[in-house]
Amino acid sequence: MEVIWFAVFTVLLAGYFALEGFDLGVGLLLPVLGRTRGNRDRMVAAMAPYVLANEVWLVAVAGTMFGVYPLLEGEVLFGLYPLVVAMLLCWALRDAGLWFRRRLDGSAWRGFWDAAIAFGSLGLSVGWGMALYAAATGFEASPVHPLGLMLGMVVTLLFAFHGWTFLGWRTPGVFGVTRPGRVLLVSGLVAALPALGVLGGAMPYLLEHSAPAATLNVLSVMVLPVAPIMLGAQIWVWRTFRPGKDAFRLPSFF
Amino acid sequence: MDVLDLARTQFAVTGSLHFLFVVLTLGLAPLVAIMHTRWAMSGKPVHEGMTRFWGQIYVINYALGIVTGLVMEFQFGLSWSGLSHYAGDVFGAPLAMETLVAFFLESTFLGLWIFGWSRLPRWAHLACIWLVTLTAYASAFYIMVANSFLQNPAGAVVRGDRMELTDFGALLTNQTLVFAFPHVIGAGLFTGGMVLVGASAYRLRRRAQEVEFFSRSLRMGVVTAAIGILLTMGFGYAQFAGVPEGKFGSHNVAAAVPLGFMIEFGQLLGLVVLFVMLPMIAILPRARWTHPILIAMTPLPFVLSILGWMAREIGRQPWMIWERLTVADALSPGLTAGMVTTSLIGFGAVLGLLAIVDYVLIARVIRRGPHALDLGATAREEPPTPAMSY
Repeated sequence: MEVIWFAVFTVLLAGYFALEGFDLGVGLLLPVLGRTRGNRDRMVAAMAPYVLANEVWLVAVAGTMFGVYPLLEGEVLFGLYPLVVAMLLCWALRDAGLWFRRRLDGSAWRGFWDAAIAFGSLGLSVGWGMALYAAATGFEASPVHPLGLMLGMVVTLLFAFHGWTFLGWRTPGVFGVTRPGRVLLVSGLVAALPALGVLGGAMPYLLEHSAPAATLNVLSVMVLPVAPIMLGAQIWVWRTFRPGKDAFRLPSFF
Repeated sequence: MDVLDLARTQFAVTGSLHFLFVVLTLGLAPLVAIMHTRWAMSGKPVHEGMTRFWGQIYVINYALGIVTGLVMEFQFGLSWSGLSHYAGDVFGAPLAMETLVAFFLESTFLGLWIFGWSRLPRWAHLACIWLVTLTAYASAFYIMVANSFLQNPAGAVVRGDRMELTDFGALLTNQTLVFAFPHVIGAGLFTGGMVLVGASAYRLRRRAQEVEFFSRSLRMGVVTAAIGILLTMGFGYAQFAGVPEGKFGSHNVAAAVPLGFMIEFGQLLGLVVLFVMLPMIAILPRARWTHPILIAMTPLPFVLSILGWMAREIGRQPWMIWERLTVADALSPGLTAGMVTTSLIGFGAVLGLLAIVDYVLIARVIRRGPHALDLGATAREEPPTPAMSY
């Protein structure tokens, strides 16, 4: 049972990196590729239908951590207190930017929230690298270590590349690249590598610190039957918004 | 303030902010789903307009529900790791169910509903909003399961220095849950109904052209508010059967005062809704003199909802888990006042500002009325943009 839940936890965290990775990547590229308002609208519209379905993977990670690794949950989050607070604020800003950017028309309004998206995406990407570094050292080292910052840069670059690949898949040619779906799959895997590496190293520790059998049984009975529905919903999103003649529809709600 | 008070304030601030948006989400979700159903069945433009207009308000409100909820979820690990150490094996299960199943699906289906407009087949699109409603209620249920465990630790035993889950069924049939959950749902419906009433009264007062649109909305709001307040009051009083002795006694004035205010004003508001607004439902849309009163009543359900939570949560003090774990023991060991002060200022400032912006945007949608809505907009409604802009 511990192994099944470790696998679920791994899939969720790796899934978050592979999926939300391209949303953050597009956010990072907003000031780079989106020099005009029209281009920024296209970039956001390209990722908009996926964001809600992607970011919940991290919410699920946190929930699983509470249910399956209750002893660890406090240690991880508390051990990284300032970093987690900063990342949460970045996440809130990024989301607010998406929801608010098109609610008013003024260019100052749009510019402000577009900047919030880019800034929030940057903060989250760098923060993830730093958090993974701290996790790899068993929360012994401070995340503000040159190596932590370097891993932050690596994750940021991976996400930016993944976001660029996503744009090439969903809006072929618009931003200078055309990418088939399999390349997107590969860049998603690459984006998830840092998370997979750290989780692989932590596997023996995590297995040992799982919740007792009674709790895992309850979670399994409640969650596993719903898992196909969750997977189905995700597939439904990808089928509905697959690239075609109106891959991104303007105006988009975000 | 010491670190304990600061951490409690931080949770209270983010929790209250979160619930302000959640309570409206719970009320509006089924209403928008009903409007969408009517639109799907009749195909009438007035029903499409109602779905888009109230749907846009629902969706804008939802934004803050998400971001405040994220901060809430992570705070358990940030400030209250003592709780997961002591009772994580029990408390974690409903919380995992909420995030892993309910919210995961809710968010996925909401994305499909918002962006699937005129892209999904009609009935599949309708199914999305009903699935959003269903999963939102499942979310509320699991959160109430977790909260009720704190109020009354049923279904678990203390083994060694930790709590262990022995009976998940007892967690779901907790006496502090069975009446509190419908009470919260009633409060949500009441809030959603009163927002429909207040916003429609504003539009009608302004002699908006869409008389039929807002007369319908106002009547729907009154009926919903009446059902909501009836549920809220009925299950509210029923809850007292399960309240442990002394919870709202003289030694816990901080809980008794909000409780008293909530009951008094809730009752008064209930009487107004059930015995004045409901009988007058047919003439309210035309009775212009009532509109300023209806508008002024809109914030009251929000205030009452927060008072209700204050009574429930302050009433639990000094316990995190009733008679098992104190809040002081649940605090993360090593947490300093400086850490919490910084994060409290950060969360308070950012979420507070975002909340204000969100309410201004909702007010703006109501002021502009059902024109040029973003939700479900198609390319033909977009004003032509000059070629220069690219």
